[in-house]
Amino acid sequence: MLIASKICDELTDQEVVDRALREVDYFSCLYERYEPALLRYVRRITGAGQDGAEDILQDAFIKIWRNLRGYDPGMKLSSWLYRIVHNEAISALRRQTSFGKNRTVDWADAEPLLLHSLLSEVETEEKNIPAEQLHHWVSQLPQKYREVILLRYFEELDYEAISDVLQIPEGTVATRLNRARKALEKTARSTPAPNQKKIRP
Amino acid sequence: MNTAHKLVEQIKSRHIEPRPQWQYTALKWAVWTGFGLTVLIGALAFSVILFTIQQVDFRLLQHFGHSLLEGLLSLLPLIWISFLALALMLSMYTLRYSERGYKFTLARLAGYSTAFSILLGTAFFISGGAQQLEQAFAIRVDLYQSVQEKKEQLWNRPEEGYLGGTIVSVTPEALQVEDFDGQAWTIDYANADWPPRIQLEPGEQVKLSGEKTGAARFEATFIRPWGGQPLNGPRPKMSPKE
Repeated sequence: MLIASKICDELTDQEVVDRALREVDYFSCLYERYEPALLRYVRRITGAGQDGAEDILQDAFIKIWRNLRGYDPGMKLSSWLYRIVHNEAISALRRQTSFGKNRTVDWADAEPLLLHSLLSEVETEEKNIPAEQLHHWVSQLPQKYREVILLRYFEELDYEAISDVLQIPEGTVATRLNRARKALEKTARSTPAPNQKKIRP
Repeated sequence: MNTAHKLVEQIKSRHIEPRPQWQYTALKWAVWTGFGLTVLIGALAFSVILFTIQQVDFRLLQHFGHSLLEGLLSLLPLIWISFLALALMLSMYTLRYSERGYKFTLARLAGYSTAFSILLGTAFFISGGAQQLEQAFAIRVDLYQSVQEKKEQLWNRPEEGYLGGTIVSVTPEALQVEDFDGQAWTIDYANADWPPRIQLEPGEQVKLSGEKTGAARFEATFIRPWGGQPLNGPRPKMSPKE
């Protein structure tokens, strides 16, 4: 029997973890709470379709369940979940090279506030760049840059959380983000998105 | 059935259980024990390196007929330097894989590992443990040549002007010294320089720099205590009769 949403909503992350360890049904609270954000992240990082992303997320949650006692409460639960999901997504991406070839991600469904700051930081001649074009550029970036851009500007995680997800020092997060923005500018100048004019330097 | 429901059903039907807590605790302990051990090995290696440096009289090395570099290389504890480097690398590695090790930059990982090894190593050296460890190592490892053995070889070259040994007797004109091969030498030390802390008396181990003047005769220009560098500055040249 699944736990009612109302009961789940009243519990903190830590309480959900504690209760899930005693009664597995409470694990569904965790899944329901984080599924939308994590599923979106899996689709963005892998370029997988809805079904593929759901499979990856299911596998990731099985790993989360297996490792639930290893969760360190000193870290945000969301960061820990993102870490496991990220690792699972990257493994899946390596196994399944067909991911991303026919990207079906509906990028337009989410345009977080921070994305506008990314647009203003990327120096292009063209203003009011459509989100679709930006997503096309992001998808062209090498994985290590793509993941920091996605975590920072699309998932809106802070540096500390990104450091916990990718298991790198915060200083490295900052450096990598800076390089990623430069790479994005370069990509924007050299790779016009479909039906878009090339942006001149 | 929604996906959350499917997930829980899958966990139940496959009887998937969370890993027991003891596995995480054991892993954490293993990582920190590994870090502690590697820091300890690094500290021991560092203490022996300090001991070796203490044993080298740099001011006399420059008087060696061979280059200073050659003299230094002959005494450098390369094996301990290798141990130290290896231990530091391993301790950085274990610290990196501790629970929050990824938060540290490479420089900080190196800094923490080195700082712990230096602090512990210095304490061990001050307590006198480094010399005992070095000697114990020399006894147990056949191929290992101790600092003392190397030093004896270096100071057992009277033809080249280097002699080491134990003072047997002292007269105002000469010292009687027995070298490390058991040969007796008469040392003329009227024009020799030696630091004030050295006691020219029977039983004192010394190293001498000078010139071989006969089959068992040596004229010393420098006399230094065997056990390392004098702590104070060079003493002005003076006659033993003063």
